[in-house]
Amino acid sequence: MPSTIPDLAIPATQSTPAIATDWEAGRLSLEGNSYPENSFEFFGRIFAWIQGYLAQSDGPLRLELKLIYMNTSSVKAMMDVFDLLEEAHAGSRAVEVNWYYDPRNERVMEMAEEFREDYGFPFNILPIAND
Amino acid sequence: MTKRTGSINDGQALLERIESLLEDTGHADNPLRPVLTEVLEHIHTQNQRMERLLKISDGYQLLERNQTLSLAERCDKQIKRMEKLARISDQYQRNLLEVAESLRQAANQDALTGLANRRHLMERLKDESQRATRKGSQLAVAMMDVDYFKQINDRFGHEVGDQALREIADAVRQGVRRYDIHGRWGGEEFLLMLPETDQPEAVAVLERIRERIGAIHVGEQAPVRLSASFGVTLLRHGEDTDDTLKRADDALFEAKRNGRDRVEVAC
Repeated sequence: MPSTIPDLAIPATQSTPAIATDWEAGRLSLEGNSYPENSFEFFGRIFAWIQGYLAQSDGPLRLELKLIYMNTSSVKAMMDVFDLLEEAHAGSRAVEVNWYYDPRNERVMEMAEEFREDYGFPFNILPIAND
Repeated sequence: MTKRTGSINDGQALLERIESLLEDTGHADNPLRPVLTEVLEHIHTQNQRMERLLKISDGYQLLERNQTLSLAERCDKQIKRMEKLARISDQYQRNLLEVAESLRQAANQDALTGLANRRHLMERLKDESQRATRKGSQLAVAMMDVDYFKQINDRFGHEVGDQALREIADAVRQGVRRYDIHGRWGGEEFLLMLPETDQPEAVAVLERIRERIGAIHVGEQAPVRLSASFGVTLLRHGEDTDDTLKRADDALFEAKRNGRDRVEVAC
């Protein structure tokens, strides 16, 4: 089904992660630090895209996350995003999260594990290959 | 007749008695019969109404109960969510603290020897000289340089040179007193600050370090004994610390010129 929601391609700033979406592939990726001044506004676009995708397409959805530091409101927003995915998963929609972490920073992995708790959809925590 | 208590059984028994009286053909002409029939019907209707009322009332109660339950459930879920949020957020904060701490260490510590680095020493020198000036106390400042270090590097390689620097750092660490400040000034140069210390005492501490360094040998075949030269001076209250350092440096130069492996004092 053709998209009525434009793909996002927002470069990272010091306080916000890069956002990239691919409607055709059913993919949304976030990469970087997240402590936006207005997290409601920042994550609003992400919610809108995911909700639009889930409503207008019936393809699978995959989140590719390389998040390092997150402030409290970003943690809350990500939990809301995961709740959206859990809801879709309950409606037997194929959803998946790949959370990448630098193996030199094990703490990020521990935090991803905290996030993963209580969710039923595939939530993979994967080390990034270092050179 | 048993005593009536108004219970359901009593009511049921009364109804049965009325019904049997009405069925009794012997009372067919009793003038009370039509009225009694009417009373019986009325009681039946009232019973039905009562049951409907109970049903509706029970229904409401059930609804209310379910709503309370689902509210409690939702509340529980929200609390769990908040707890999770706080947990993750706290962890991020702890990480930040750790990062800040390791950055602080990296900013003040020499990576090779683990001693204070030049940046840290410069800050401490400023603080200590101000403190000594304020309190009118003595502060000895010493510059130390490892003798012939370039030759050690050239002859044995940088790895041996680095190892030598680490051992020298240990000698300094072990030779100073608890309250002395010491660190790597750069290359093979080390700086020491000895608070509340007069000249003879300062020389004694430095001699102790010099002897410890003299006990270090490097190189596996034909090992070489290490040594270091020292220049020490006392802070002149109120002077620029650059001038203090300059005097210590000049004394160090004297120590080198006089044959190394010694402590020279600049007054």
